[in-house]
Amino acid sequence: MEYNGGSVIAMVGKGCVAIGSDLRLGNQALTVATNFEKVFPVTDRIYIGMSGLATDVATLREQFRFRVNMYTIKEEREIEPESFAHLVSSTLYERRFGPYFIEPVMAGLWKTQAGEYKPYIAAADLIGCLNFAKDFVVAGTASEKLFGVAEGLWEPDLEPEDLFETISQTLLNGVDRDAYSGWGAVIHVILPDKVITRTLKGRMD
Amino acid sequence: MSRSYDRALTVFSPDGHLFQVEYANEAVRRGTCAVGVRGKDIVVLGVEKKSVLQLQDPRTVRKVVMLDDHICLAFAGLTADGRVLIDKARMECQSHRLTVEDPVTVEYITRHIAGIQQRYTQSGGVRPFGISTLIVGFDPHDTRPRLYMTEPSGIYSAWKANAIGRSSKTVREFLEKNHKDDLTREETIKLTIKSLLEVVQTGAKNIEISVMESYGKVTALDLSQIEAIVQEIEREKEAEAERKRSRLAATAAGQAAMSSRAGDAAQPSGQQ
Amino acid sequence: MECSFALTGKGYVLIAADTTAARSIVKMKIDEDKIKSLGPHLLMAYSGEPGDTTQFAEYIERNIRLYQIRNLYPLRPPSAASWIRRALADSLRSRKPYSVNLLLGGYDTSNHTPSLYWIDYLGTQAEVPFACHGYGSYFALSLLDRYHDPEANLEEGLAVLRRCIDEVSKRLVVSPGKYRVKVVDKDGIREIEF
Repeated sequence: MEYNGGSVIAMVGKGCVAIGSDLRLGNQALTVATNFEKVFPVTDRIYIGMSGLATDVATLREQFRFRVNMYTIKEEREIEPESFAHLVSSTLYERRFGPYFIEPVMAGLWKTQAGEYKPYIAAADLIGCLNFAKDFVVAGTASEKLFGVAEGLWEPDLEPEDLFETISQTLLNGVDRDAYSGWGAVIHVILPDKVITRTLKGRMD
Repeated sequence: MSRSYDRALTVFSPDGHLFQVEYANEAVRRGTCAVGVRGKDIVVLGVEKKSVLQLQDPRTVRKVVMLDDHICLAFAGLTADGRVLIDKARMECQSHRLTVEDPVTVEYITRHIAGIQQRYTQSGGVRPFGISTLIVGFDPHDTRPRLYMTEPSGIYSAWKANAIGRSSKTVREFLEKNHKDDLTREETIKLTIKSLLEVVQTGAKNIEISVMESYGKVTALDLSQIEAIVQEIEREKEAEAERKRSRLAATAAGQAAMSSRAGDAAQPSGQQ
Repeated sequence: MECSFALTGKGYVLIAADTTAARSIVKMKIDEDKIKSLGPHLLMAYSGEPGDTTQFAEYIERNIRLYQIRNLYPLRPPSAASWIRRALADSLRSRKPYSVNLLLGGYDTSNHTPSLYWIDYLGTQAEVPFACHGYGSYFALSLLDRYHDPEANLEEGLAVLRRCIDEVSKRLVVSPGKYRVKVVDKDGIREIEF
């Protein structure tokens, strides 16, 4: 996990969710790239972030895209966040005894019977043990720090812009105390009708 | 017990024929014509091109393909079978380069293709490839052009000039009459087009010509170039016909003169 | 020790790799070319375990060529990079992984953009403005952070590359002697006397 570095985080808001990652790609202590995003869209309303070994981040991103496309074609509908979380979990558990070295964080909105959208976030360990949370989830080399800052800043029912501010401050301040993460961040705030994506500068060292 | 007998499609008939292979040859005979001609230091492939439908993209219909930098292939017969065989051949070209760091020779890849074709006449549950191929090219570090042909049975052979596909017999006979050793570039191209015109009535727009001049140097002639040569051939034919006509007329006139003189002689000569 | 550098500029990618083939502490050869042309506008510098490097590079070369023959057009740099990365990632979890590090520089003729990919033996891929492999990276990356300009012309790019190579020669105990430099731009691939 410390080989390439990097951290991701997701938070719940009021009728919205936010997910973000730092931008560093390292080779142990040496920084190789400062534009390495770790969060990827799955559908219009689901994003997945992956921290850990960068080669597996890329491989699993391709793998998830393949499986989600197959799901969409076979079921003739878009995948829901909860189904996607279990898809991620089972994909990782397939490699139980020779795992992919990543910790995924998922964020999405699911549609209720009444037609409104409810936030959904989840995280998993490297062999796919799911952790559902109703506030926030973190992963990566700065996870301990992120837990601390998030615990202090997060509050229930944040509006999209407030949620953006909260997750941004949490991520930037969390990774400042981690040598393996940093070099700015990217944040996605997922709303029922759109996704707000912003790239942030942090301490660029 | 009879299962193993039934499974194989290609089994001998009592008189020693392999019907499936003969049917494959029939598929080749129904395919569009392809001609290959070897010159002194050039080799030319010409194919009859079916007119594409009005809304079709002509670039997606290819009958002459590259197998490697220095080898070209044209085929006659089932296009879909051709595609599969070509893919196998291309794979072998790269694989050969990878394993022995040398490009394949023309004979090697011909033998490989013929080998695959043969295998499909002797294995269970498969049918032979419904194509014949003409393979042209230059061997590495060599200036001599090469021309080979393969057939569905797996036979392969080297040629100075040959044709496959529809009316190939007519074209081959034409080539036998007109081919000379050490043809120049222009003569080779002209002979190829001329022989194709034997079976392609519609002229230049249904002819595709690929010229290989040396190792790895391949060019496809464009329509205007082919048209120019077709016109030249037509002019020559016209002149030839004209000569024939005038010779015929001269003979006829001579004969007429002779017979009239004979008639004159038969009449009594009152004046003299 | 093996060093390779690469940087992008205005309409080109420069790639440099040392020319020594070593076994333990002995130099076996000093004019080895470790930059392969994978197509008319694609260059790949490779380093790592001797044997694996040439073996893998040739495998890639032949497959990229096969793609070009099959489809009549070459693979564009981003697609080529993804394919190569996948080959390494699959190899990593095989019985005997290749240990090869790559710098892939290409010029996309369809949208006129030069691009550079840093790929390591694990299959980690990053698109970057400049990159290095080997011990040289500890010196060159910081120089490139300071002096690299994506809008620089070829002379300026070469001057930055010269700085990197000079610094490595000056400060690295096991610095290589000679480098081979190649550039890829709209006109294709050229070797530059350095």
